[in-house]
Amino acid sequence: MRTNGHGAARVGIGGPVGSGKTALLERLIPLLRGRGIDLAVITNDLVTHEDAERLRRARLLEPERILAVEAGACPHTVIREDPTLNMEAADSLDRIFPDLDLILIESGGDNLASTFSLDLVDYWLFVIDVAGGDDIPRKRGPGVIQSDLLVINKIDLHPYVGVDLQRMRAEAAAVRNGRPVLCTNCRADEGIAAVADALCDAVLYRGA
Amino acid sequence: MSDPLVIESIIGDRGDPALAGRLHEIGHHGVMETLVVDPADLPRRRFHSLTDAGTACFVALPRSARLFDGAVVWLDGQRAIVVRVGEQRWLRLAPGANAALELGYLAGNLHWRVRFDGDCLLVAVDGPIEAYLARLKDFQQRGKVRIVE
Ligand SMILES: Nc1nc2c(ncn2[C@@H]2O[C@H](COP(=O)(O)OP(=O)(O)OP(=O)(O)O)[C@@H](O)[C@H]2O)c(=O)[nH]1
Ligand SMILES: [Mg+2]
Repeated sequence: MRTNGHGAARVGIGGPVGSGKTALLERLIPLLRGRGIDLAVITNDLVTHEDAERLRRARLLEPERILAVEAGACPHTVIREDPTLNMEAADSLDRIFPDLDLILIESGGDNLASTFSLDLVDYWLFVIDVAGGDDIPRKRGPGVIQSDLLVINKIDLHPYVGVDLQRMRAEAAAVRNGRPVLCTNCRADEGIAAVADALCDAVLYRGA
Repeated sequence: MSDPLVIESIIGDRGDPALAGRLHEIGHHGVMETLVVDPADLPRRRFHSLTDAGTACFVALPRSARLFDGAVVWLDGQRAIVVRVGEQRWLRLAPGANAALELGYLAGNLHWRVRFDGDCLLVAVDGPIEAYLARLKDFQQRGKVRIVE
């Protein structure tokens, strides 16, 4: 069932530079579409449309369903302090696609302090990766702690970077007081369904 | 599990005279349920939750709506659901001599939600208090802030 006339659910994807936010989108989009979810994406880059163009080239969604917002400054300002650019982009998607279920908003790569305003999104995930080091959860960045879902990506790389994945995962769960943590490998398409389940369960109504 | 009640609008304020009569009626002959929302979660427009009576709800409000304490979100012949905002914890801080500006800067830089009360700065505590105390430790040691309560 669709809750009508209220616009699509909005989900934020934040995280440090290069942690795999766009790679996760590239995996999530076909999966969510396969579940019959009407989808659009907004990407945020500093001064280019790099990620939006990458997604358009991948042809996972019609190009009109991929909008780019140029942050121009620190990426966190446009998802937290003044999210109006992103809100306007999401509003315009709602107007163009009245049956839209879900808008995924990728933040520009930032640091561990970045968080999403709940004025912009209904739910947000924070993507870190094992190559960033297993001490990242212990550093208790607000993104790591406050996000609705923490994703630890690039788990395929853990043997090469000397990371104890079990420990990293356990420490992440501990600093988050048990709130959800999921592991993914976007290269090999592992763990993506669990991420899709988590965000669908949180913001979409999937009744009988 | 049965399907959740889908809450798509805020019907009004518990205090509205127009609603008070119906709520009173339901209080006697039906079920009054409370949906507790954490203060930090008030801006959320889509989430799943349970009322105090265990009724599953899926809240999906329009972008223009914002929950508040006393918001009536469900009303039918037998049942009313009213939002209660969980208690907000505050940390009361007294700045040391000539340290008020610095303390204000710190709080802003950390994106803390604050209120002012006379000479004190009130900081909304969302999540574990240790995280706040850790940020204040250095200020405290240098006499730039006193934690009143
Ligand atoms: N081995 C491995 N590489 C990955 C994985 N996910 C992403 N990558 C690679 O990591 C690099 C960065 O991925 P992106 O998806 O561009 O990361 P991003 O977070 O969107 O980066 P910014 O938007 O620039 O902050 C790319 O070279 C990806 O191919 C993964 O799970 N495993
Ligand atoms: Mg990207």
